[in-house]
Amino acid sequence: MGGLDLFAHDMWYPLSFLGFTHQFFGLNSGTIINTWIVLAALTLVSLIARYFLYYPGSIGGYLVKNIIISFQDLITQSLGKFVYKYFAFITSLFVFIISCNWIGVLPLVEEPTKDLNTTLALGIMSFLYIQKEAIFKHGPINYIKDFFEPIFLMLPLNILGELATIVSISFRLFGNIFGGSIIMSIFEQAIGDSWIWNTVTTISGINIIIMVFFVLFEGFLQAFVFSILSLTNLTMAVYEEPGEHLI
Amino acid sequence: MMNITPSLATLTTLFHYGSVTLITVLSGLGVGLGQGISSYSAFKSIDRQPAAQPEISKTLVLALAIIETSAIISLIFTMILFFRTPTDFYSSFAQLGIALALGIPGFVIGIAAGLPAYAALKSISRQPFFSRKIMNAMLLTQSVIQTPVIFGFLVSMIIFYQLGNVVNMADALRLIASGLCIGVGAIGPAIGLGWFTYKSAQAIGINKDIYGQILSFTLISQAIIETPVIFSAIISLWISRIAILPTSSIMPGIVCLAAAIVMGIGTFAPGISSGFTAASAVNQIAYKPNLYGILAKTSMITQGLIDTCAIYTFIIALSLIIIGL
Repeated sequence: MGGLDLFAHDMWYPLSFLGFTHQFFGLNSGTIINTWIVLAALTLVSLIARYFLYYPGSIGGYLVKNIIISFQDLITQSLGKFVYKYFAFITSLFVFIISCNWIGVLPLVEEPTKDLNTTLALGIMSFLYIQKEAIFKHGPINYIKDFFEPIFLMLPLNILGELATIVSISFRLFGNIFGGSIIMSIFEQAIGDSWIWNTVTTISGINIIIMVFFVLFEGFLQAFVFSILSLTNLTMAVYEEPGEHLI
Repeated sequence: MMNITPSLATLTTLFHYGSVTLITVLSGLGVGLGQGISSYSAFKSIDRQPAAQPEISKTLVLALAIIETSAIISLIFTMILFFRTPTDFYSSFAQLGIALALGIPGFVIGIAAGLPAYAALKSISRQPFFSRKIMNAMLLTQSVIQTPVIFGFLVSMIIFYQLGNVVNMADALRLIASGLCIGVGAIGPAIGLGWFTYKSAQAIGINKDIYGQILSFTLISQAIIETPVIFSAIISLWISRIAILPTSSIMPGIVCLAAAIVMGIGTFAPGISSGFTAASAVNQIAYKPNLYGILAKTSMITQGLIDTCAIYTFIIALSLIIIGL
């Protein structure tokens, strides 16, 4: 017992020749390779979508347009108007996370979002972008003034509250995807090498049901929750006048 | 005279089978209650709107399947634990951590997942031609509710892989604390989630025209209500990664237990009050759709302030672990 460590990763130390052998300087090679596979898959999908868009009457073109229009509606509903850069940011977050969550259906590939480093990076990136937008929108002085609302003493609490969004948003994604992937691996172990169980579960569709629920559905849901939470934080950060149509 | 002092072997067996049964009993109880609530609502809805019977039955079956998730996850663990032979007292005692990490969330989430199904089935009987969208909203909200169970599963998996290394009481208490933190931490948010999703499914039945806004507000608010669960999951994972020497006294175990209790009880009030705030907001949105923007924003800011309390307990628990050890 005690053999399997759930947090173990293959580590790679690119700076070890300079003496940096601390864990902080290590890279999780598995995660990086999986992320590149995701990026390759995304490139392929966008090339195919581009091909479809050249034929106005095709079913693929219709689907691609529908997805884009639904995202446009989401942004318009939240912000009250359509802003192209926010649309691009939220849509690319969603598309990247959903492909990270779904790449696990391919054999031998694992979800990059199973690694806390990926989700933390996504959370920090979305946090920094939102802060940057808030500073550009309100100006640095108003931005800093916001932290002293409603009274001066609230400064540490406001900062903590802002930082807590990173933690909650990234751990939500990580925990759900990691839990789902553990359930899948337990299911695979339970079936094991027994050809009887393999045949029964394949023919009865149990394999597909479990995968659809724990990988596809959960992955879609978490990607959606992540991007819609980022959108809400963005909306709260860049709103103009209180009382206007905001959310 | 009968000798009633239990031997160590008896206690080992007692804790082993006790934790195995506790997982199944607790989550089975919650899931059974949740399924009962939703089936009751389905029959009442059919009684009110007999023409909508096919839609109501279809929705009921899907709702029951999702409510069952926590029971299935607990069943997996019951099987895994059942076939593990208890070796010594401490590792058997530490199994209680798994029972707490899966049993308590299974119980509360089973009931909480039944409430949106109850309201959604009632809404379908009000708006039979809108049943598809009500069903979609119900499935989404129910699946987001399952997050604490998945975290509990994660923590119990980590506890399970450490059971073989437990050699003293401090280590056993540490693993129990790890399970207790996520288990108790799920109770308050689950109550909040259940009440809020009940109200939001009802709101779609009251005013179907702002379905889109209510759905996105529901998902965001659910995510905010669940934030305390994520904090307790982080403390849980942190506690489960602490290394305790085989020769150490019982003290580190008690510190871990204290941190777990702080975090677990600290999520109680934020979860419940955040859920009730969002519930009254979604109810208002259904009646006054033109005020959606201001209502949603006020609700989110209030929920954010309420969650600050959970952050304080998170900091206290972290400092207990870091400084106390």
